Amino acid sequence: MTMANDDKVTLRAVPAAVESVHGAWVVQLPRFGAEGTHYHTYGLLTPYFKGLGEGRLLGTKCVNPRCPVSSGSGELWLPPRADCPDCHQPMTWQEVKEPRGYIYSYTHVERGGTGLEIACPYYQIDVKIDGVCTIIKSYLLDRRPIKIGERVRARFRTGPEATHTCLDLCWELE
Amino acid sequence: MITFAPGNLRVPRWTRPVYMVAAGTTDFRKRYPEKKLDELCMMAFRMLLEENDLRQDPLEVKGHINFACYGEFADHFQDQLLCEAKVHDYLGLDLLPNVGIKTGGATGGSTMLMGATTVASGMSDCTLVLGWERMDEVKTWTGNYYIASAACKEFETRLARNYASYYAPMARRFQEMYGVDERVRAEIAVKNRGYACSSPYAQQPGRHTVDEVLGGEIVSDPLRFLECCAMSVGSAAALLCSEELAFQLTDRPVRLYIAGGSHTLRTGDRRPMRILLLPHETEEGYASLYRDMGKQDGRWPGFESFGATRFAAYMAYRMAGVQNPIEDLDLVETHDAFTISDLQTYGDVGLTLYGREQDYVTSGDCYLKNPHTGKPGKCPANLSGGLLGTMHAVGATGIFQCDEVFWQLQGKYDRFHGDPALWRRYGKEKPADWTSLQVDDPRRGLAISHAGVGSHVTCAVLERAW
Repeated sequence: MTMANDDKVTLRAVPAAVESVHGAWVVQLPRFGAEGTHYHTYGLLTPYFKGLGEGRLLGTKCVNPRCPVSSGSGELWLPPRADCPDCHQPMTWQEVKEPRGYIYSYTHVERGGTGLEIACPYYQIDVKIDGVCTIIKSYLLDRRPIKIGERVRARFRTGPEATHTCLDLCWELE
Repeated sequence: MITFAPGNLRVPRWTRPVYMVAAGTTDFRKRYPEKKLDELCMMAFRMLLEENDLRQDPLEVKGHINFACYGEFADHFQDQLLCEAKVHDYLGLDLLPNVGIKTGGATGGSTMLMGATTVASGMSDCTLVLGWERMDEVKTWTGNYYIASAACKEFETRLARNYASYYAPMARRFQEMYGVDERVRAEIAVKNRGYACSSPYAQQPGRHTVDEVLGGEIVSDPLRFLECCAMSVGSAAALLCSEELAFQLTDRPVRLYIAGGSHTLRTGDRRPMRILLLPHETEEGYASLYRDMGKQDGRWPGFESFGATRFAAYMAYRMAGVQNPIEDLDLVETHDAFTISDLQTYGDVGLTLYGREQDYVTSGDCYLKNPHTGKPGKCPANLSGGLLGTMHAVGATGIFQCDEVFWQLQGKYDRFHGDPALWRRYGKEKPADWTSLQVDDPRRGLAISHAGVGSHVTCAVLERAW
């Protein structure tokens, strides 16, 4: 178990190498060391991962008036989806300005599997973001004890700190 | 809000009934260097053919097999694609057709489901169902990483690389919503690991105390080490066949009904819906639960329940004519990969109402002998030792659970757990304090096989057919 001395969680991540192919980010995910690499496309969700690196949180919503669930004014989805699961039409991107929410659930991770890039221990949290219908899994920078219901605000890893992965979104207690 | 169209809720109707006539298994270990994978599968296959009192010679029985369904969770562990072909060849079943099944932790159950459909449809009169996992070819924490690859890799896997950490938020949320005492979860670990002491197949039997469980190291808060299953190696098998063949092969055939459900991989993506009611439940019965959920921003199935389990039970109960599970079932095997998944499942399968799972466990009805009354529990759970006490060799797990229910219904628990020769086969001595866990004259049992944080679930009802 690694216990950092400071009260903020740190990463051991290096920025993932990203190649742009036909407008989509293709990220290299090292798995078996230098000899083995998987290439994984973010496809139509590329704007989400680009957005994190720019300090912006982007969700998607269905605006199809014929959708049997959204009727043209769907709720925001995070994680986003390019296509609506209810009517199968393309969804529309929308930024969540100054994202805030509350801790819907959490766990204090004391041991992670091989290759974990977040320094243990840390809080993995499920965040209910204001105005979003789904609940996104993420992690908390703070190390002090927390409770369900506590308010949090988003933080981003941008510029040279960006990993180009979901780790670029994290949260701090308000 | 998810809503169902009538076609979505069609209860499966099989063209022919399906019977289980034989079971086989290996013992389960953390490491099993003595045997290659295909050799372990042969152990289970040989036991299935030779030790189930079938009326025909083992090779005659083998001569009935038309189809094989093989369950294996992850190629990663062995760095070997298409193990199915190697195993099938090794068992001497070439050139019969086979298929490989993979639905995460529910792989074993899905393999039973697939095998059953081959018989029900007429594709086969006799299908071998066999599953395995060999998780000892990588280090434990690499194994955790591999299993965590079953979480969403874009949005979740990097946030722990350890599956306990995806169950822990469900445990936390369940605990908060229903005011669950941690001692209840610990009691489940104590019970199931204790039952494993009677099993020669068990990997980690133990007579623990609640305080010992709670005093253990945390894996992912609030789950402690003794609340989590371990990496396993082993294989399990079942033989399914048509009615005519079943009564030719055995005087104790067991009828099988099985159905599946499936839900989103990411817990947080579960959209709220109305509770899918089991035959004995009513909307009014859940009025107060809906009110409580409203106060705590809860949703069904949300973080507190498994929609896929409820869906599978909804279908399987109607297939089997189960009207009230606590009255109609004599034993259950839940998928207790973590104590919390066992606890949550009691509501999903309707042994108690949602929200009252804690009370159900403390009532003692999930024990063979109710510790409070000394009388038989209404519906004992995980007499096999469960995943916590016996094993989670993933592709084998759901099959092994059906095997255990099958032997219970045949009244053969003692024979398959109490024979000293069986213990010696696996290099063990039968404990001096060995206890029979045979249920008194059971007629129906249930086995749940469960993947992800509830992404795939099968619900099997097994019923005495003689």
